[in-house]
Amino acid sequence: MKMIDVKNLTFQYQRKGKLVLDKLNFACEKGTVNVLIGLNGSGKTTLIKTIAGLLENYQGEVYIDGKSLKELSIKQRAKIMAYVSQRSNAVDDFSVMDYLLFGTVNKMNFYQSPKEDDKNKVLDCANQFRIEHLLDKKLGEISGGERQIVSICGAIVQDADLIILDEPTSALDIKNQHSVLSIIKIIAKEQGKTFILSSHNPNHALYLDSNVFLLKNGSILAQGRAEDIINVETLKSVYGEDICYSTELAYREISFSDYENK
Amino acid sequence: MLNKKKRLTMGVYFTLVSLTLVGVFILALIIGRYDISIETLFEMLFSQSGYEIERSIVLNLRLPRTIIAALTGLALSVSGLLYQETFQNKLVSPDLLGVSSGAGVGAALSIVLGLSSVFVSFFAFGFGVLTVLATMFVAKAFQNKSSMVLTLSGIIVGGCMGAVLSFIKYLADAETTLASITFWLMGSFEHSIIENVYILLPIVAVCSITILSISWRINIVALGREEAQTKGINYRFYRTLIIIIATLLTASSVAFAGTISWIGLVVPHIVRLMVGRDTKKTIPMCMLFGATFMVIVDILSRVFTAAEIPLSAVTGFFGTVIFVVLLFVRRNTISEND
Repeated sequence: MKMIDVKNLTFQYQRKGKLVLDKLNFACEKGTVNVLIGLNGSGKTTLIKTIAGLLENYQGEVYIDGKSLKELSIKQRAKIMAYVSQRSNAVDDFSVMDYLLFGTVNKMNFYQSPKEDDKNKVLDCANQFRIEHLLDKKLGEISGGERQIVSICGAIVQDADLIILDEPTSALDIKNQHSVLSIIKIIAKEQGKTFILSSHNPNHALYLDSNVFLLKNGSILAQGRAEDIINVETLKSVYGEDICYSTELAYREISFSDYENK
Repeated sequence: MLNKKKRLTMGVYFTLVSLTLVGVFILALIIGRYDISIETLFEMLFSQSGYEIERSIVLNLRLPRTIIAALTGLALSVSGLLYQETFQNKLVSPDLLGVSSGAGVGAALSIVLGLSSVFVSFFAFGFGVLTVLATMFVAKAFQNKSSMVLTLSGIIVGGCMGAVLSFIKYLADAETTLASITFWLMGSFEHSIIENVYILLPIVAVCSITILSISWRINIVALGREEAQTKGINYRFYRTLIIIIATLLTASSVAFAGTISWIGLVVPHIVRLMVGRDTKKTIPMCMLFGATFMVIVDILSRVFTAAEIPLSAVTGFFGTVIFVVLLFVRRNTISEND
């Protein structure tokens, strides 16, 4: 079953401007982890935002869980998919609990606000992510890595089957990168959620045992399982001839103990 | 434990501000050029006859102006808070989209044309609303739905209205109409009558109930379009609703009281220093605090001198003092990114 089905997707920010996405065709199966890899300006974020429903003037079709994105209301979209930006705009004054409760809004009517049930749900999710000790802290008091894990936890609170992450590890140190990637791996495995995320690090795709889409100039250069796609030829075609590839280095780089064993 | 303490502090703040509002409201009814004792006030209220002068002063003069002062304070403070949260900018005031400049033009035009005070209010309200519509139209013409373009359109249209106002003032008679325009632009509750309350009260009530019912959601709107939308909030719908409500609140207040500067900017800041950022708490607190603040300002404007001091002068001075004190007390809890 396809969770994302993209057909002839073309996007440009300005009329008669450069094609940022050029007739893309691809699909992501349910319960898979999918990683978009490419240079800056290759169209990763534009593709992520289009799938998340944040860019409207695209051509072609995007189907989410079998339904056309254009026909889904904002509330319906939020029930199917959750989006995590590189950094939330939430002000530092909010507690982690307050922030996570925002994820429950897609189940509420116009005038409603969170009830005890919603708080219990947040507690459950926080327990899964082992961040219950952060709930009373303000967003400004936690580290960048913890904040990113809180944001992903917010996506789980939203109860969506598809989770879209825009460069979730871009501002994190290597230890926190590993924490975030481990969480993604665990949630995908245990809850069967579908993930699509962009990354600058091909090692992440290998670690996540994911499907990879290599993007260059708005087109997909190659796609397939990470272990098949991440090789010196394909990476050279994306990053240029200077790329140096070592499987050993890749595993050495991500060498923290798993999040679940912490 | 922490939550319990927080809730208790919140409860104390809300109780204190509510009691202060009741206190200053009663004070506003008894203080003035003709002092009335509190005993007389209650005896008068619970008796059918007697105290004719006091009854007339309280019911015909002080009660309408105090109610209008409270409603105006509430309206301008909440509008300021709503704009600051929606446009993610703590420096914006209810005049962001040009409502007050438009109202100023409407009022000045009606004064120059020699129309009665009813028409001055009507013109001020109408021009205030029309100016915001013009701002939205200009933003639409740019074919860009971002809040930045809307804000810039507000600056363009507001600036244009400022120029029109200057032109009207230039044409006005220096001895008569120019003085009236200038006085109107500084704000006053001097001409408040009970009929104004009948118009202002329902507008403020409907807007307040609507905003209170969505107060928690405004936290999510304040995250910006991307985050709000992906959490299931129709950002543009809420932004439009907030603009409509803030425009109605500001235009109707300005129509009866003239332009009052400072309050819409400073009260939301004071309230945030007291109760934090959660709009579920800041909105009701802003209503209570704004109303209390404006009633105090009204009392101050009429007790110091025989003639009334313009409201904007008092709000500026009084607001600065409170703001400096609060900022000093909370200086260590404000981060560099705030």
